[in-house]
Amino acid sequence: MATITQTISKKESFSDKLIALLDRLKTPIFYVILISWAILCLAPLYFTLIFSLKPVANVYDPPLFWPIPFSLENFRDVIGALPLFPRWLLNSTIISIVVTVARVLFCAMAGYAFARMEFPLKKFLFTALLISMMIPGQVTLIPNFLVVGPGIIRGGLKIGDVTIPTGFGLMDNLGGVILPGIVAAFGIFMMTQFYKSIPKELEEAAMIDGLGRFGIFFRIVLPISTTQLLTLALLTFQGEWNNFMWPLTILRTPENFTLPIGLNWFRGEYYTLISKVLAGSLFNTLPILIIFFIFQRYFTQSIAGTGLKEG
Amino acid sequence: MKTLLKWFVPLMVLSLLLAACQPAATPTPEKVIETVTVEKEKEVVKTVEVEKPAERAVVRLSGWAASPEETALLQSILLDFTVENPDIVVKYEPITGDYWQQLKTSIASGVEPDVFYMDIFQFPAFVRDEVLLPIDDLMAKEGVKRDDFIPSLIDAFSEGGVTYGIPKDFNTLGLFYNKDLFAKAGIAEPTDDWTWDDLKAAAEALSDPANNIYGLGVPADPGRFPIFVFQNGGSIMTEDYSDTLLDSPAAVEAATFYTDFRKNQIGAIPADVGEGWQGTVFGKGQFAMVYEGGWLIPYLKQQFPNTNYGVVTPPAGPKGEGNLIFTVAYVISRNSKNPEAAMRVINYLTSEKAQNKVLESGFALPTRLSLQNSEFLKTNPASSAIFRGALQGARPFVWGLVGSDVNEQMGKALERIYLENQAVDASLKQAAQVIRQKIAEVK
Amino acid sequence: MTQTVSNRPAGLFWRKDNPEKRKKRSEALTAYIFLLPYLFIFFTFTIFSIGYAFYLSFTRYNLLRPPEWWGLEGYRRVLCLEALMPRGEDAPPLACDDLFIKKALPNTVKYTLIVVPTQTVLSLILAFAMDQKLRFRRLFRTIYYLPSVTSSVVISLIFVWLFSPLGIVNQIFNLNINWLNDPRYAFYTIMILNVFTTSGTLMLIFLAGLQDIPTAIYEAASIDGANKFQTLRFITIPMLRPVVFFVVTVGLIGCFQVFDQIYVMTSGGPLDSTTTVAYLIYKWAFRDTTVKMGQAAALSFILALIILVFTLIQRRIIEGSGSVGSA
Repeated sequence: MATITQTISKKESFSDKLIALLDRLKTPIFYVILISWAILCLAPLYFTLIFSLKPVANVYDPPLFWPIPFSLENFRDVIGALPLFPRWLLNSTIISIVVTVARVLFCAMAGYAFARMEFPLKKFLFTALLISMMIPGQVTLIPNFLVVGPGIIRGGLKIGDVTIPTGFGLMDNLGGVILPGIVAAFGIFMMTQFYKSIPKELEEAAMIDGLGRFGIFFRIVLPISTTQLLTLALLTFQGEWNNFMWPLTILRTPENFTLPIGLNWFRGEYYTLISKVLAGSLFNTLPILIIFFIFQRYFTQSIAGTGLKEG
Repeated sequence: MKTLLKWFVPLMVLSLLLAACQPAATPTPEKVIETVTVEKEKEVVKTVEVEKPAERAVVRLSGWAASPEETALLQSILLDFTVENPDIVVKYEPITGDYWQQLKTSIASGVEPDVFYMDIFQFPAFVRDEVLLPIDDLMAKEGVKRDDFIPSLIDAFSEGGVTYGIPKDFNTLGLFYNKDLFAKAGIAEPTDDWTWDDLKAAAEALSDPANNIYGLGVPADPGRFPIFVFQNGGSIMTEDYSDTLLDSPAAVEAATFYTDFRKNQIGAIPADVGEGWQGTVFGKGQFAMVYEGGWLIPYLKQQFPNTNYGVVTPPAGPKGEGNLIFTVAYVISRNSKNPEAAMRVINYLTSEKAQNKVLESGFALPTRLSLQNSEFLKTNPASSAIFRGALQGARPFVWGLVGSDVNEQMGKALERIYLENQAVDASLKQAAQVIRQKIAEVK
Repeated sequence: MTQTVSNRPAGLFWRKDNPEKRKKRSEALTAYIFLLPYLFIFFTFTIFSIGYAFYLSFTRYNLLRPPEWWGLEGYRRVLCLEALMPRGEDAPPLACDDLFIKKALPNTVKYTLIVVPTQTVLSLILAFAMDQKLRFRRLFRTIYYLPSVTSSVVISLIFVWLFSPLGIVNQIFNLNINWLNDPRYAFYTIMILNVFTTSGTLMLIFLAGLQDIPTAIYEAASIDGANKFQTLRFITIPMLRPVVFFVVTVGLIGCFQVFDQIYVMTSGGPLDSTTTVAYLIYKWAFRDTTVKMGQAAALSFILALIILVFTLIQRRIIEGSGSVGSA
């Protein structure tokens, strides 16, 4: 009897110790992994800084990990050689903000409709939404351009003496960049999935209280989903800020360029001076980073997440 | 609340549209004050006040965006033009991204610019599909003569005796060599009279694979390899581009000579030393010789200013000299509403004065014969060598309608030889077969 | 009582359905108002551009002169099914382009099957990690988001430099692989690059999804004695299912359309090992001197069809009880 109890207690203490050891190590190991991945994520930005802070001629010289010799000439060159730089910054900001505000609102509305309401053609429209994301953009570039700018029918639709324009005529215009972006299938899809995950009880309670759909949406659902809306806003802002292909097609006069298009002026036809390109790219990346860091604060548990206090 | 919202969305959309609409330009006489920064060291501010007539022809000029310095130079030339021609306003619309995509999109939508850049490589398709305006009549009106320009260049942009473009600048390949490496190996520097044998001997003497130094860069690049075919008396395509000669014995011999450099470790491709472009490798001093165009000159000046180098025209092969001409012309769209004004712009931009300005900034080589003996070329042997390349057995870099397919197949053939050890004649035969099929497709 | 229903026969049938029908109609109307912006864009842009592209897929079009009708020839040339059949050494050359069926399609499928699970799992793990109570959580989140912020060009330039034969990656792991120039490895480098760059964005989306889950459920679970892994398996992941479906679908679509890095870094090479369907579409639409816009359009629809099929398959896999992906 005594031996059995002794054996059992010996085994327990060994595995106990193992678990205790793992438990203690868990946190430091966890942090080691976290920090390793953080270093990986920082690497591209770090090297971008290194390359930008060295003079052009020294880019390939050692040391590769530290900017010696140190020089701000690349940044000066970027701003100096491109007198329209502030204008491009302004254009990019306008486009990004307008598109973000519009898209977040409209996609949330559409997402809520798909997630919570019943209406004819719902399945068709949602499927059409998904399918529209599956067609790659190279072939829809030209028709989209025609609609935004010169018009589907060259010279307009002539009925008798009247010429009806078949396009919005927004070529070389910031509005032309903004217009197709006010909703995005991606955004609607995302909001739909988010709204499906929100528990229905809150809305049902509100409906019993007599609030209509609009009221529920604007007074309850929107405030609850600030985290999700913020996510969409950040992704949209960033997408529009970095958008290259579409603004390049619409905008023609250098005054109307956005920042990425203007900065691409440094990409030569035959060769690329990476110091200048990378220095320029920092002007494009930093605003997004700053915005992201600021808005992190609002990424908190939503009201739905904090539980439903039956009132 | 409901009613408000019902109107909110359409209102927002409407306001967006209204905000974006720009009123049509009203032609009124106005004063023009333009400021242009021409050089980095010297800021030249030109304030010009000119009374403009009420009706001005608008000419839209487009091209790929050159570096900011070159753009500033172009804009100063355009400013001079505006002063001398107040009845024309030039709208400069540079394209900083994929030029051909944007241009073809514009043409397909009917909104292409009046004047734009045309690369010789893309020229055949544009000519065949009648997108370009024949300019012989306009040239006669402006007094522009074909004979003023380097024959190979202006001929390249003509078809069936009709001129379609005025060449604005050009480039050829030169043999760039590293003077320090030559001195260290104790061999004589290259001259214009070099032959394939000299080239091979020098590469052997200069190579030091253990230290990652190779005599000659031999990339799988369809913009380099063809000159070896020319130097061996062969061609890539027939005269009328109806067939390819890539599998001819002359081409196979040339390819064998070219790829043997790497096989015998006296040459290498940029990837072997971890780079994408042999220009960078040359600057780093790991390739002693490379075939590159005049663009390498400003690159080395900025990125590797300490490299001590020289340039000569490419060595001749068993059957003589051979070189490639890369050239771009100004062309006018057939749908341009102001072709005469467009021609005046082109004429000004390619005038002797303008071309000399460009030449002296070292950005590009002029296309006028009168500038062959200019001071700049006399004092810049590197640029001079590139310029001379146009006069010695040079052929334009164009392969007809299926040009991009020919390039692709040439590149892949060389890649297969390098990376998969395929036999040279089999690889070229495979490439030629695909090219013939593509030619058949476009008939 | 009879004011609202004036001259209608006062039968039980009418009185029962009218409020129902009215409610349904008003809900439908409200829904359409909510959808108004989307419908506007849908009818002015989406329908026209897809319809136009569909029309183009039956034409021969090189952008410089008007399209000419070609019927199914474009599709035939793109699919090039005859390239799959055994051919002798001296067989006549193919009358179509086998780049799609032989290279682009297998490459793209391989790419998708590897990258989608990898990036989904990775970003899910990151999101869980970022959901814990950590010190410097805000800083970590921003850093983890970095890869998704930098532009394609910049990340590509840096990656080319990092993965060059004499670059840091080879030095750290003591390898001698010519990453981007070796046909065997180039594609894997692009995969690594893409998993890396999407990790930030997808982590963000999963995070937002995690915030949605009510803490009350977690509390109830811990009262019931569930440990961390059980909570994860039986509560968190099932509640995340709509978001997972979203991430996987969007991942599928994105992977099948992968283009940017190939355009900047490899142009489809070396030896077509990195040629994807989207790159092929771009090449045929704009790059080649013999522009084949019609073929590019045909290929776009073939691609859309393939994506649709894969999406339906994965929806079947992810869908449990309750509709996840349908409206």
